[in-house]
Amino acid sequence: MSATTSTLRPKLSRAANDFADGWNRIGEQTAFYFKTIGLIPEAVVKYRVETLRQIAQMSLGVGALALMGGAVVIVAFLTFNAGALVGEQGFRSLSDIGVQALAGFLSAYINTRLAAPLIAAVGLAATIGAGATAQLGAMRINEEIDALEVIGVRAVAYLVSSRVVAGVAVVIPLYCVAAIATFLSTRSLIVFGYGQAAGIYDHYFNTFLQPSDLLWSFMQATLMGTAVMLVHTYYGFHASGGPAGVGEATGRAVRASLVVTVSITLASALAIYGASGNFHLSE
Amino acid sequence: MVAIDAPAPATSGRAGKPAGESAGSVSAHAKPAHALATPLREVGSFFAMALDTAVALATTRFAYREFVHQCWFVARVSILPGLLLTVPFSVIVTFILDILLSEIGAADLSGAGAALATLTQTGPITSVLVVGGAGATAMCADLGARTIREELDAMRVMGIDPIQRLVVPRVLALTLNAFLLNSIVCIAGVVGSYFFAVNVQHVTPGAFADSLTTLMGLSETVLCFLKAIMFGLAAGLIACYKGITVGGGPQGVGNAVNETVVYTFVALFVINVLVTGVGVGATK
Repeated sequence: MSATTSTLRPKLSRAANDFADGWNRIGEQTAFYFKTIGLIPEAVVKYRVETLRQIAQMSLGVGALALMGGAVVIVAFLTFNAGALVGEQGFRSLSDIGVQALAGFLSAYINTRLAAPLIAAVGLAATIGAGATAQLGAMRINEEIDALEVIGVRAVAYLVSSRVVAGVAVVIPLYCVAAIATFLSTRSLIVFGYGQAAGIYDHYFNTFLQPSDLLWSFMQATLMGTAVMLVHTYYGFHASGGPAGVGEATGRAVRASLVVTVSITLASALAIYGASGNFHLSE
Repeated sequence: MVAIDAPAPATSGRAGKPAGESAGSVSAHAKPAHALATPLREVGSFFAMALDTAVALATTRFAYREFVHQCWFVARVSILPGLLLTVPFSVIVTFILDILLSEIGAADLSGAGAALATLTQTGPITSVLVVGGAGATAMCADLGARTIREELDAMRVMGIDPIQRLVVPRVLALTLNAFLLNSIVCIAGVVGSYFFAVNVQHVTPGAFADSLTTLMGLSETVLCFLKAIMFGLAAGLIACYKGITVGGGPQGVGNAVNETVVYTFVALFVINVLVTGVGVGATK
């Protein structure tokens, strides 16, 4: 498309075109996201069955991932490992200064605010996000999306908005599993692995676990779920270039959504906890 | 069952079924015995390919040109996402840790906390995410596209071993890049933490720089880079395996990339937990 422009200064015009393309792509993405969000009511009202079907499919996964137990098992597994890391590294650092009794505090603090939301975001992008890109991309390449539009179905509402709704609906139970997995794995590592008395651990854990922190981290998870689904459906819906294009779109979507989710986690953490951190160790 | 030729048609036959359909049908695994055999066969053929790669690395001529091309390819797709991912990741960790440190009156140790978090955990984890999420996905998509276009079969017909010509250089390129990326990620992480701690949380710059080496020494740094090398090796093998066993058209390639992401993350987190456990014992 850009090759048809003047060849007077090829390097300059190519650079200008690249810049303009990138700029247009940002605009296109934003327009697509607003359109998707605007069509959510229509998806919920008109295409209720499709939305429900997407919810069922996302929680259990498709193809070979279903054999491993789908998104639920994978996210639980990733966060379980993250919790074990917090336990290992935290217990060692704490025992360096002789306060390993505070391991329960570390779990209540680091897992809630840091490990669970970040690792759950990664799990979401890898499982339900990348799955949606692969599906939508394949439909685009097989011209199924064009066919839908020809028979009068609004493709964005039917395919994209329903997936975004399903993704956000799935995130909430998924994040419950993730949070429980981090707490459980840190606790079992500290209590059974390092032999700390369970009472000490539970005392400091219960003292320092702020329920409001947990609620805020749920809000973070919902935000991340929305962002992951929007980014991944965009790349899937606009895939091009045959079977290879679907793979490329999936890879590109994973890259973009990882950056977006981590940035969202940072921005929301700064907004929620503020500079002072809403945290009082000595009280 | 010869290492790689035998499972490939089996996979394509299995994945070929849901290709045309849009979604949802997982009907291929009705019998319980078959449902158990399929994952086992996948694991077996993955290890067979890993073994083939190791043998080919030692016995056949090394494809230098492809190796250099792949190094450039991986570096190109992963440096920018790496930087974009590392800076927020380490800033949020510094933010959370510094709240804790200033609460106990030890804000001067912010540098020690940042160095500890970056070198032991966020550095290697971000390298994982970049290597797995950016490098391995691009590699799997590229190899998968070649498999779909039957370029690999054409190579076999011409008597060229795809393992020697394509897989070995790719695996090594991803390993080398993971190693190199890890240094960029660690430096960017510490620098990002520095600016955040000094400018936003008002930590003294000198105290930050001075306490950087309080908890972290040579052995921790070596361990950090060892982790990165292992991640790169595992991610490269998984990406190449999923890439050369792709089947079933567009949906198949998409699914292969999706599975690459999931399997690399799962494998890398397991490696991280094990190596951290060993390292905590070894560097004590």
